[in-house]
Amino acid sequence: MAEEESNSKPSYPLKVLYCGNCSLPPEYCDFSSDTDRCREWLEKYLPDEFNRIMTSSGTAGGDDSDEKKRQKRGGKGMVKSKKKDDGPKQVCLSRAPRGKKKSVTVVTGLSTFNIDLKVAAKFFGTKFACGSSVTGEDEIVIQGDVKDDLFDIIPEKWPEIDEDYIEDLGDLKR
Amino acid sequence: MFKKFDDKDSVIGIQQLKSSVQKGIRTKIIDQYPTLEEYIDTILPKKDALRIVKCQDHIEIIVNSAGDCLFFRHRNGPWLPTLKLLHKYPFFLPKEQVDLGAIKFVMSGANIMCPGLTSPGAKIEPVPQNTIVAVMAEGKQHALAIGITSLSTDDILKVNKGVGIENCHYLNDGLWQMKAVK
Repeated sequence: MAEEESNSKPSYPLKVLYCGNCSLPPEYCDFSSDTDRCREWLEKYLPDEFNRIMTSSGTAGGDDSDEKKRQKRGGKGMVKSKKKDDGPKQVCLSRAPRGKKKSVTVVTGLSTFNIDLKVAAKFFGTKFACGSSVTGEDEIVIQGDVKDDLFDIIPEKWPEIDEDYIEDLGDLKR
Repeated sequence: MFKKFDDKDSVIGIQQLKSSVQKGIRTKIIDQYPTLEEYIDTILPKKDALRIVKCQDHIEIIVNSAGDCLFFRHRNGPWLPTLKLLHKYPFFLPKEQVDLGAIKFVMSGANIMCPGLTSPGAKIEPVPQNTIVAVMAEGKQHALAIGITSLSTDDILKVNKGVGIENCHYLNDGLWQMKAVK
């Protein structure tokens, strides 16, 4: 196939399509860890490409018998599927006291939504005009009590987080 | 090279490159890949601020201002293109094709063995030893891996045993999964 391309002299850079599920070029989806989900994705978003691959694999025909012979139990060639532990997706907000009359807001759980904490901390800092920093694996501390504002601002900034996903833990004791 | 690579843990630091160093890298890359000269301005624009990402095991990756990984190298070795770049400009590396059975092994990081390069489904483009090659696959349009030949192709045909191409970067390895660098 590569030869066909060089004959027709395409303009570089070529546009290469990648599967949204496994990030590989669609023709390699068969070798990813979950082919079924790739197929689904391809059918949904790139129906042309999907048909092309289905027909080309259909013409090969004899593949089925080959597959029976091939061992399926594992061995070195198996691509290990990465375990994605999809824990409960939730953002928790709480207020922690700081000194006698000041407090800080602690935001945890943003990384379960695949949000870059560093960017988020910077965003909060500029939004509230206060100090904001990443303090742990999955924790942002915003200086000042901004908990009530966060309930509006988080869903606005990241539409994938619904307000229902945000939990109020109240005040933390020290 | 990138089997255990992780973009969170393996990156040590990111550095802005001096323009003189950038020029040096540009000429080096053109030297290595003369066919790329026509497109070098679109890949590495002169005014673009390139950055270098230093990683564990003496790996360095060139990143453009948009954050895409372009080339990488190990210690003072040659610059190798990333697969995403190679997919866009597939012409500038010699192509060695492996048979269907080899794909899953290559995609889990195995070096390319000679028999996989000499079997009926495979094709060989003659190159000397220590050449950077694109590993293609039978019936597939896009490159599967990037490697360095550890034997010349003549030897691969003659010996037909052991490692023929050393796998440097393959689909779905740590570098492939690396997200855009900020």
